[in-house]
Amino acid sequence: MEIKTSELKRVTLLEISGRIDSTNANELGEALNAAIDSGRTQIVLDLANVDYMSSAGLRELVSALKKVKRGTGDLRLASVSGRVLEVLELAGLDTIFEIYPTQVEAVGSF
Amino acid sequence: MAEKHRMIIPGIQRLVPDVCDFVESIALRANLNDRAVYHCQMAVDEACTNIIEHGFRNSDTPGHIEITCQDEPDRYQITIVDDSPPFNPLLQENPDPATPLTDREPGGWGIFFIKKMMDEVSYTLENGRNKLTMVKLKTPENVREPIPALPDEQNSMIREYPGGIWGVAPSGRLDSNTAPALQNLLEEQLASGHINLLIDMSEVSYISTSGLKALVNAWRSAQGKGGRVVLAGMRAQIYEVFETVGFDQIFDIFATPEEALHHLKNQTA
Repeated sequence: MEIKTSELKRVTLLEISGRIDSTNANELGEALNAAIDSGRTQIVLDLANVDYMSSAGLRELVSALKKVKRGTGDLRLASVSGRVLEVLELAGLDTIFEIYPTQVEAVGSF
Repeated sequence: MAEKHRMIIPGIQRLVPDVCDFVESIALRANLNDRAVYHCQMAVDEACTNIIEHGFRNSDTPGHIEITCQDEPDRYQITIVDDSPPFNPLLQENPDPATPLTDREPGGWGIFFIKKMMDEVSYTLENGRNKLTMVKLKTPENVREPIPALPDEQNSMIREYPGGIWGVAPSGRLDSNTAPALQNLLEEQLASGHINLLIDMSEVSYISTSGLKALVNAWRSAQGKGGRVVLAGMRAQIYEVFETVGFDQIFDIFATPEEALHHLKNQTA
């Protein structure tokens, strides 16, 4: 898994590629926490290049969402593949996260 | 016939992706489609992760996990056996997907995904070891769509050229499925007195020995009747086959039907 973090004007953009599973989900959690701890709570997670996410990945997403929602922030998802979307749907997370078809739309939504 | 594959790993998290690859490769061979393969991969990932995170949590050295994949005619079965303390994960209460964010625990979804994604899941305690059996049924929604078979009908166009010459233009593959039809058609032509045949090969994409035999039989038959069979418009890869078996020495082969026609007219005039 690779994580590319970009600081945009109002949004922190995390572009992830590869597998997110229990061997590396903590790295995703750390990247999210780094942004949140530095006060950047408007976050877009671009999952276009994520072909696999297990419950370990969901755990990090939900933890981070809870943190940013304590303030006025939000964690929004972009370009979620069909397989990963199915996982989100099964866990009922498709209604809890705001999900956008493209990165541009997700960034623009803030 | 059922095929069984087994993999044994020490209970270490970083080895779990290898198990996923193993399960995936056999699921693909079992003809499951991408979605079903993904489900199997995730179910195994969640099961092994649970064993490692909870089952082996209190052991100094992690125990072993044994993964068996079985390809049966009607199902793909994955069995996971481990020697952590007896624990039936299926008894764990399902989390509710409708839980609002504020009341949600971040974790606890692994077993839920296994139950949702696999068609059958069961747990038994066997010789003191935990055994989790997960099945993906080979129903139409779980298997790859069959690749449409090539049409095995031999379609040959027949036409009459001036000067008592008949043209036959087979198309597609000339193999053991299609060659008999061509051979019958050529024999019919010869039997009805069309003894000078121009076979236009330009639409033939493949020829096997059966196809070659059909052509040679027609050639021989025509010779016996005082007629001729000539070939034209062969693609390079087909011509190579003729050269390899020396049939370029038997047949008169022309680049185009026009050239073949010209030759036949001179011969039969």
